[in-house]
Amino acid sequence: MARVYVSSVLNATVSSVWNRIRDFNGLSRWHPTIRDSKIEDGNPSDKVGCIRNFHLQNGDQIREQLLALSDYDYFYTYSILESPMPLSDYIATIRLTPITEIDGSFIEWTAEFDCEAADAEDLINTIGQNVFQAGFDSLKRHFDA
Amino acid sequence: MVKVFESTVLNAPVEEVWEIIRDFNGHDYWHPLIKESKIEKRLPSDKVGCIRNFILAEGGILREQLLTLSDVEMAFSYCLLDTPIPLFNYISHVRLLPITDGDKTFWNWESSFDTPDGQENELKKMVGDEVYKRGFQSIKEILNIKISKGFSC
Repeated sequence: MARVYVSSVLNATVSSVWNRIRDFNGLSRWHPTIRDSKIEDGNPSDKVGCIRNFHLQNGDQIREQLLALSDYDYFYTYSILESPMPLSDYIATIRLTPITEIDGSFIEWTAEFDCEAADAEDLINTIGQNVFQAGFDSLKRHFDA
Repeated sequence: MVKVFESTVLNAPVEEVWEIIRDFNGHDYWHPLIKESKIEKRLPSDKVGCIRNFILAEGGILREQLLTLSDVEMAFSYCLLDTPIPLFNYISHVRLLPITDGDKTFWNWESSFDTPDGQENELKKMVGDEVYKRGFQSIKEILNIKISKGFSC
């Protein structure tokens, strides 16, 4: 089982960050590597169990299913159904926690998955840096602007 | 039921902060409200179930019991047994999380408790400001001293 853990600090309240990231179909509006996204079967994007079908800027297609969404604890959890990456049983969670002292947000993005041992390091780096940290950097630019 | 939640960011790696706050008998070293601390029955301070006995800086005795200690999660929980302040059913959780972006530490300290009617806001503010935020401040000062000593070597 490989594990990715990436976390950061955002200079914006939890409610404003949540407002930006909550939409399971909204990745293309805040994440630079996502080109487009739609929810399959005409479901609303906050229906737990819904599937998002999106393309990366390089054209790769990924399908992910929403497993949990909490407006109370500010997190959502999803799994990968289809992707070009050599991995399986991928489950990820993105979570916000208030930093009361600065009225900011602590953001964590974690993933667990199975893969061939030879692929693990590469996948952990790609997912941790090119996907998760790249998303944080984009949020930081947005909220610091 | 009153709930308090306070959190901060420390400019130090999480392992370094955990080393300071992990000791259930170490609050007299870093928290200004605590004058003396000892563990009852000479138990080790990382034995879950042990009781710490504080003499407060302003006088009075406070006893707290360790309910959870996790070196994996870098977290501990405790409850109040005896206190000069009217906090009932007080349970508190301390947790550190790594901030990988910059190698810093996220620290949250939270609790829930009951109070006599009408004292909810006053005691909520006391716990949040006097206990948790002052604790954050003290640890920040200790870490700053460590950093400045490191630079002078």
